[in-house]
Amino acid sequence: MSSIETLYLTFLTTGFIVGFGHCIGMCGPIVVSFSLNLKTKGVMVPNLLYHAGRITTYALLGGIMGATGAFTRVTTGIGTLQKGAMIFAGLIIILMGLGMSGWMPLGKIFGDYYRPDGIIARSFRKLSGIQSTAAFLPLGLVLGLLPCGPVYTALIAAAGLGMETQSTFNAVLAGMGLMAVFGVGTVPSLLMVARLSGMGWLKSRNIIYKIGSILMIGVGIYFLIKGLRY
Amino acid sequence: MRCSDDKTNSHFAKIKSPSRNTYLLGGLWIGMLFFFTSILPNTAQAMDPSKMINCDVHHGTCTQKFKDTEIILDISPKPVKAMTDLKFTITLTGKQIVSEPFIDLGMPGMKMGPNRVLLKSNGKGVYSGTGTIVRCPSGKRIWKATVTVPDMGSAEFIFDVIY
Repeated sequence: MSSIETLYLTFLTTGFIVGFGHCIGMCGPIVVSFSLNLKTKGVMVPNLLYHAGRITTYALLGGIMGATGAFTRVTTGIGTLQKGAMIFAGLIIILMGLGMSGWMPLGKIFGDYYRPDGIIARSFRKLSGIQSTAAFLPLGLVLGLLPCGPVYTALIAAAGLGMETQSTFNAVLAGMGLMAVFGVGTVPSLLMVARLSGMGWLKSRNIIYKIGSILMIGVGIYFLIKGLRY
Repeated sequence: MRCSDDKTNSHFAKIKSPSRNTYLLGGLWIGMLFFFTSILPNTAQAMDPSKMINCDVHHGTCTQKFKDTEIILDISPKPVKAMTDLKFTITLTGKQIVSEPFIDLGMPGMKMGPNRVLLKSNGKGVYSGTGTIVRCPSGKRIWKATVTVPDMGSAEFIFDVIY
């Protein structure tokens, strides 16, 4: 087995291990929010699309790291994007929570300017009730930018791999491959969380939606504050 | 209408059995506990990080004794910041070693993935290499550098970094 293959295997295993620890704690709330928001729909296909988007972003970042071999320079460059992704995640979870609870006080927020069929109300309803399966791919692409310790560690390895590779093209491929296998490793744990929160008998209870809404708003505020402070 | 009400009542009677409610609330409680303990400081040590720190990397070098050998760790530039290129220097006094030492960077009690700094000899027991301490969005700033000297053992330096 070559050193690249060994590294791939190491990061596939790393993704799997950190998935069941770190990712469930940090990204689990996002997956639970999406799954609860899907209500009667199946959770597997939207979640798989979300992860496909997330892994695509990881692979693109890995390709950039491989090509440049400069971890700190690239992460400084994408810092604002990551901050934006964290704030976006916070806002979308808060909106989903408000939408699910039926507490969206649009009338109070916008006062006399609020019209139930106006563009503001329609946009809020669309964002808070993301249920279209296709919407989960772009969501994954954006939220793949969320700052995360283990992702950074894998990106350092991708940058290191790029420096060891002879041609830029091979460096890009090696970096992309490493980040993709890392991302794949994190999928089982998050799919398990999605499957558990999407169980039919669990979702048939109103109390779950009430408690879930409060938790989602809390998690959204947590992400928002972390994003603003990042 | 009556028939429909009966149907609804029987449906709820079926899905809201006491045992299921117990499992449901228990599961929810465990889930909430798991989530909040994973994003909030969950141990007495985490609440008081100063108890874990055994090295002040911002103001000088740190030393640990390993059998007959002293392991001295220096990280520069100071103060030590995350997400920047850092130079790690290890000085070994005493016994001569055959293989070059290396440093594994991680967080105490949290898996962050393999982040190894390979060190090259500068002569006279001094080894150095470059690496990066990543930033954890949870805000936790306590990091651990495990210095491994092959055929001898390893020493742990725990310190805080600036985000």
